[in-house]
Amino acid sequence: MPDSTFLDSTELVLNMGPQHPSTHGVLRVILKLDGEKVLGTECVIGYLHRGVEKIAENRTYAQFNPYVDRMDYVAAVSNGLGYCLAIEKLLNVEAPPRAQAVRVILTELNRIASHLLWLGTHALDIGAITPVFYCLREREEALKIFEKYCGARLTTHAFRIGGLLYETYDGFEQEVRTFCDMFLPKVDEYEELLTNNRIWVGRLKNVGILNADECKEYGVTGPVLRASGVKWDLRKAQPYSGYEKYDFEIPTRRNGDTYDRYMVRMEEMRQAVRIMRQAVDGLPEGAIMGKVGKVIKPAMGEAYVSIEAPKGELGYYVVSDNSTQPYRVRVRPPSFVNLQALDRMVRGGLVADVVAVIGTLDIVLGEIDR
Amino acid sequence: MRNLLKKIFLVDLFQGLWVTFRYQHPRNIYTEQYPAERPKVAERYRGAPRLNINPDNGETLCIACNLCALACPEALIVVGSERNEATRRKELTTFTYDTSRCMFCGLCEDACPVDALELTQDFELATYTREGQIWDRQTLEEGPRPTPYKC
Amino acid sequence: MADEQKPGGSEAPPPGKGEAAEQPKKPAADAAAKPAPPKPAAPAAPKPPPVMAATPWESDLARELKERFGDLVRETSTYLGQNFVVVKPEAAIPVLEYLKLDGDFDYLVDVTAVDWPKRAERFDLVYIVYSFSRNERMRVKTFIADGFRPETAVGVHLTANWLEREVFDMFGIEFAGHPDMRRILLPEEWQGYPLRKDYSIIQQDQAWVQANLNIESGQ
Repeated sequence: MPDSTFLDSTELVLNMGPQHPSTHGVLRVILKLDGEKVLGTECVIGYLHRGVEKIAENRTYAQFNPYVDRMDYVAAVSNGLGYCLAIEKLLNVEAPPRAQAVRVILTELNRIASHLLWLGTHALDIGAITPVFYCLREREEALKIFEKYCGARLTTHAFRIGGLLYETYDGFEQEVRTFCDMFLPKVDEYEELLTNNRIWVGRLKNVGILNADECKEYGVTGPVLRASGVKWDLRKAQPYSGYEKYDFEIPTRRNGDTYDRYMVRMEEMRQAVRIMRQAVDGLPEGAIMGKVGKVIKPAMGEAYVSIEAPKGELGYYVVSDNSTQPYRVRVRPPSFVNLQALDRMVRGGLVADVVAVIGTLDIVLGEIDR
Repeated sequence: MRNLLKKIFLVDLFQGLWVTFRYQHPRNIYTEQYPAERPKVAERYRGAPRLNINPDNGETLCIACNLCALACPEALIVVGSERNEATRRKELTTFTYDTSRCMFCGLCEDACPVDALELTQDFELATYTREGQIWDRQTLEEGPRPTPYKC
Repeated sequence: MADEQKPGGSEAPPPGKGEAAEQPKKPAADAAAKPAPPKPAAPAAPKPPPVMAATPWESDLARELKERFGDLVRETSTYLGQNFVVVKPEAAIPVLEYLKLDGDFDYLVDVTAVDWPKRAERFDLVYIVYSFSRNERMRVKTFIADGFRPETAVGVHLTANWLEREVFDMFGIEFAGHPDMRRILLPEEWQGYPLRKDYSIIQQDQAWVQANLNIESGQ
């Protein structure tokens, strides 16, 4: 592409968002353009800032639990798991095996729900309208299981510090199995629609490339990192909640472009089904609540616990001052860190690629702005 | 030759239409006729709050222990109580619950030692005023009265 | 409830806690570094306030760090199986660089801060780093005073850019040499730093709210 056109155009500054549908929320990206070519970007975030970390300092440990669901509201269960694990680490307790297995099932189910919403909206951004209906149809089944289990579909508040509050309902295992059986062929169906679709491939291949070194440099995690060829998943690297018991693969790809990230997430959904099946088959009996007192008061200290959320490494750095309220809760949001690499990924590309790249980063603004 | 026949008789089109018509079976229709028919929500659904009363004598189950107010992250429950000199027990006088700030986390019903406060399957919480979102004891015991839908 | 919980809940412990958090541990760390501990009786005060029961961290990496940086490394400890080093503010960036180049800690997970208003060095600045090859995580902590301008880590890890901006936004810690030291989540003109402990949860920049949102108050 020539650097200047025959019209000798000047640079154009274009505001994308905060009300642009393909920025997946209230993200504002200021694009500096030369014609269609992106010269640079600047992200303006914070429109959804609610001060979650400040709220945490003014709530008790148990009271803060529902708030974490409202950060990455697409994957509320994962948020809750990370928070509960962090406090459990501070208290030095562990959830009983049954609670851990149920946590794994629900977290993986949530991973599927999150990836389905990502797939549907990402395809919608690219111009494929059909997948979003299919994706939401299957996501609905997952949400129904959440609703039956804990009484809410989106902001679930499913886990409690030390284990679970709710015992599984009658027919839970059967429903999870039915979901698994139903869901696997559907992934193939989505792939039939998209994987070899010429428009899809044309829009995604070689767009927004981020190689492995750049990923590490920018601290990018999750499917984006794995699409660049780094076989790293916290569930394998530093297993939590009994993930070491399950047999699953970490899908990776080589190119690190938007298409590879799509492929990695599709494969991740299959692996999630695999984990869920194993967890349901080996669901142990027993208590669901660990030895945690009514008043949670960890000893003076600090801990950083992170989990593999659908979007990447979700970490909680909690400082306790031996009172009933956390002294400081820092959330390490995967979307926030991943979004930082946006500039690197779209620079030199076309405006339309920005949409594809934002879609593929799978950001949730509730988590970025907190 | 076969392909030509396929083209002439619009086989692809009919195959596609077959998919469409297959989903016309009442079994596959997803649409819920919402205001006319209320959808069935899960048993554990956390919806509108309710203060349970003893069905035998119509007295409230609440013992005014204030645990729900302490458990609430948003501090939206206010329990008023008064000591009854005759029975020497604390008795509930007022109970307000601000549903506009509620996030339906269910911590209050977990905290309740006598299962008096409960989040029910009722989900119709819309009101015309902000004040209408603050429920008093009567509303909590009898349930909200949403404007009925007329067909 | 939220507003009144504050004084009772979190303000009571901090008196002396800030100092306590480091002082009783310091002799232990020094003891590991130098054979002659200056004040071994310090932790045996009559009523010890709660402290983090961290134990010294013994490993090759901890020794290497101490050898290389000497006095600049104040403490190498481990708590709940998580390792951290406390370094002097001026050593934070060299330590991060050393960890990245020689220790292979090539992924900066997070930069954050903790406010201890009663302490002379008011803020904990925390860098969490991870090594893909070792599969190991550690924290680099430094204590800095209010108004001190620590050096930026952007030169070592690019990802520090936004993370440091957020620390600046929330705590008012300005990083020297940062390419773009502006607020990130809050509006540019906002007054005050919300995550400092003296910023109440219901406090806000009334002037900004009135000028920009056309409402009396955001509450």
